Amino acid sequence: MSSEPIERRVSYLGDRLRGNRCLICGKEYFEIRDYCGNCGRKSFGKMVNTDLFYEKGKLELCTLVNEPTNKFTKLGSYIYGTVSFHDCRIRVPGRLTDRTAICNEEVDFSSLEGREVVPRFRRRYSVDKSDVIPTISLAFTFADEYYPHQEYKIIRPKKEYDLPGIVGYGVYTSRFRIREGNIERSVPFIDEDSITAAVEAGKLALIHSGVDNSCIGKIYVGSESNPYAVKPIASKVAQVLKLGEENEDVQGVDAIDTEFACKAATSMFKDAVSLVNYPKSNIKYAMVIGTDNSQAAPRDCPGGELDLFVGYGAAAFIFGKQDVIAEIEGWYSCTSDTPDFWRRDGEPHPMHGGRFTGDPAYFKHVRMSAKKLMEQLNLQVGDVDYFVAHQPNVQFPVRIAKELGFKEEQYAPMLQVAKFGNTYSGAVPIGLAAVLDRAKPDNRILIASYGSGAGSDAYSLVTTNQILDKRHNQRLTIAYQAQNPFLEHVDYTTYRRLKLGM
Amino acid sequence: MPTRPAIVAVGRTRFGEHYEKEPEKLIEEAWLKASMEADLERKDLEACYLSDYFLPITNKLGLEEGFLSELTELHVPMEVTRSFSSALSNACNAIQAGRYSMVLVGGIEKMTDRWDKIRDDLMLLEDPWSYYAGCTPEANHELMLRAYIKEYGLNGENLETLNTALAQISVKNHLHGTRNEYAQYQRKITVEQVLNARKEAHRPLGLYDYAPVSDGAAILILTSEEVAKKLTNKPVYVLGVSSATDYLTYPAREDMTHFLVSEISMKNALKMAGKNLWDVQLVELYDQSTVMEMVSLEDMGFCKRGTAWRNIHESCQDYKGYYEIDGNKLFVNMSGGLKADGNPLGATGGAQIFEVVKQLRKEACERQVNPDEELECGCVLELEGFGTKGYVCVLGRE
Repeated sequence: MSSEPIERRVSYLGDRLRGNRCLICGKEYFEIRDYCGNCGRKSFGKMVNTDLFYEKGKLELCTLVNEPTNKFTKLGSYIYGTVSFHDCRIRVPGRLTDRTAICNEEVDFSSLEGREVVPRFRRRYSVDKSDVIPTISLAFTFADEYYPHQEYKIIRPKKEYDLPGIVGYGVYTSRFRIREGNIERSVPFIDEDSITAAVEAGKLALIHSGVDNSCIGKIYVGSESNPYAVKPIASKVAQVLKLGEENEDVQGVDAIDTEFACKAATSMFKDAVSLVNYPKSNIKYAMVIGTDNSQAAPRDCPGGELDLFVGYGAAAFIFGKQDVIAEIEGWYSCTSDTPDFWRRDGEPHPMHGGRFTGDPAYFKHVRMSAKKLMEQLNLQVGDVDYFVAHQPNVQFPVRIAKELGFKEEQYAPMLQVAKFGNTYSGAVPIGLAAVLDRAKPDNRILIASYGSGAGSDAYSLVTTNQILDKRHNQRLTIAYQAQNPFLEHVDYTTYRRLKLGM
Repeated sequence: MPTRPAIVAVGRTRFGEHYEKEPEKLIEEAWLKASMEADLERKDLEACYLSDYFLPITNKLGLEEGFLSELTELHVPMEVTRSFSSALSNACNAIQAGRYSMVLVGGIEKMTDRWDKIRDDLMLLEDPWSYYAGCTPEANHELMLRAYIKEYGLNGENLETLNTALAQISVKNHLHGTRNEYAQYQRKITVEQVLNARKEAHRPLGLYDYAPVSDGAAILILTSEEVAKKLTNKPVYVLGVSSATDYLTYPAREDMTHFLVSEISMKNALKMAGKNLWDVQLVELYDQSTVMEMVSLEDMGFCKRGTAWRNIHESCQDYKGYYEIDGNKLFVNMSGGLKADGNPLGATGGAQIFEVVKQLRKEACERQVNPDEELECGCVLELEGFGTKGYVCVLGRE
């Protein structure tokens, strides 16, 4: 599509699957309308907004598309069909996504028809590199596979805490992996990118926290793989997840993207807690997302050594003062101008300073932030239950943990790089999520991120009783995504193709 | 009583790939044939009703009316609609209102110039939301077949018979195409070929189940009854013409096993013509796919819902040139249908009407049908989009 106004209208409806229901006769519509077709004029003002974003549908009919229209050719073959919602009161067209290599197999359509599906927010189809990226949620996956349907229930907050902290979180990685040696890495499907992962993670964080989406006053998205040089990921997240009060088609939320290599998200944790703690602020909650479709040049090119480590995924954290699961008791950040890893504007892949990324970069900064924070809070190694560090590879986080005096039981739970790869801005957030997935109340967690360029943010968090209450709200835990029977492993060529996207 | 619109002349091009011809050459060719048939001149025309589905998109043209004005040096009123039946319907209204007594109704399409982009164009015009969700011009036909199979609980032997019946539709239409000098495909195919193409595609329907992409033009001259009687001794009257409309998005429709528009327009057209269903002896259906021919037989009332495949299968086991339905003979798609004759969207309806007119005038040569009773009445079903619009036109000799 080359018309931006049309693109705006299509994605406004299609990303969220917005519709209407007539309060008089109950008829439902996909797309927004002022009148009901059955009831006519008397239904004016009696149409309520609905959307299917958190709903579960049913694949009613399907067929194989193996000769797609031009804009869909990069998807290869896929299943296309009709999906019904609300006992068939509303029916939409849709394609199944997250399926590779179905062009030459015999598909038994009747075995797919009747199964429950979940709408997924994805890229719609291919466009020129200079065009706006079209998105849609008329892409579906089966509810009994990798991505289960989860209800989004808004929970009225019960308790206010003295210190603000994490109220809920969500992590999203795809169901595709590449396995090389002892490391497995997540690979996006061809219609995924850092924008779609950010939306997924944000959605899961809302589900986990039970926070009312309209109460989120600020959204920060940290990434170094935004497919746009200019145009925020945060605006898409705000729009799709309806953050803040919606007025007409605009969300009452502040949205901003941040960039500082892999620490773009962790840096904003302190901003988020400060914001919700400001006495005159009317912002109850702030969301921080770290998302990356981590970029790497092909192996035989300069910068290609990163190609062995890059992953795909996003983590979202909601900060507030009510129903907190982990209070933030302090932080320390440090920065120096150290060029150990960079990507020039217009270049598709980052460059890497080889051994220079180790001692003078990663270790120097992570060591300083962690040590300074412990000094500041008067903490001993034994006071910390879990340590989380940035994980560009398997060795670095273990080495710094040991150097700081942490034992294996303190640092082992954060090690996720061997399961998902280096998820750049998502790396420390995913490590933190893995720890929160298992932490007990009153556990202290010390995290230290690292962003090339260079800097590190250390935080100390203490979990509350409510961490246990909220745990059952989330099925897509780190362990669930790491060891899932529906994971699909792809070869190197497929991995490069999928990573490149539509 | 208002005058009855009468067709006094018809003309068309062969359908197919006309890479070497510009769109105006095609329409000129069709016009020459029609004008010679009734011995008419351009200046006799009082207005032109034209149709093309998307010629300005596929051929980067400006206003088609201006283009035709330049070609004909005529400055009469000209209107463009998207299907031939729609143009005819408007022309009939004008003749019946007494506004004009002689008009041209013409249709043209040139799809092959657009090469591989044509499927995106077709799908976007059919329904943008389905396009955004990944639909292709073929997928909805296959979903309709899936819906049909589920609705009527067809499995085992019945399902096999249904699939064979659909293949037989294509074989039959190709057979008819061999007798049509204007048809895009004039060769026979076999049931095995149709079935194998489905197997190769790994889909419910294959290459031979679908009508092709075509170029072509068709024209007819419509006059008042009085004028017609002066020009020809074999006028064909438009006894009834009716249309209906449905949602753009196929999955949003309540019943996905048939086209509501065909049902409604058939009922209204018969009523307008003062005919009963089985007065219709000959029908040209809009078989963009074999499923469409089967479903249309039910939509128009010839077969009971969920049973057309049986009638088709039984009739095609030893094909005698017609479908036998409850003891009635029905001649279907004698032109070869869209499958064999071709499907240049804006001109397709013109070829369908061309066929019925030729048959009613007994000028169909090898294809001429001979029902038990004198051939008096035929009808045409034309669709736009995937059942978004439907037109039925009932034609008769008296």
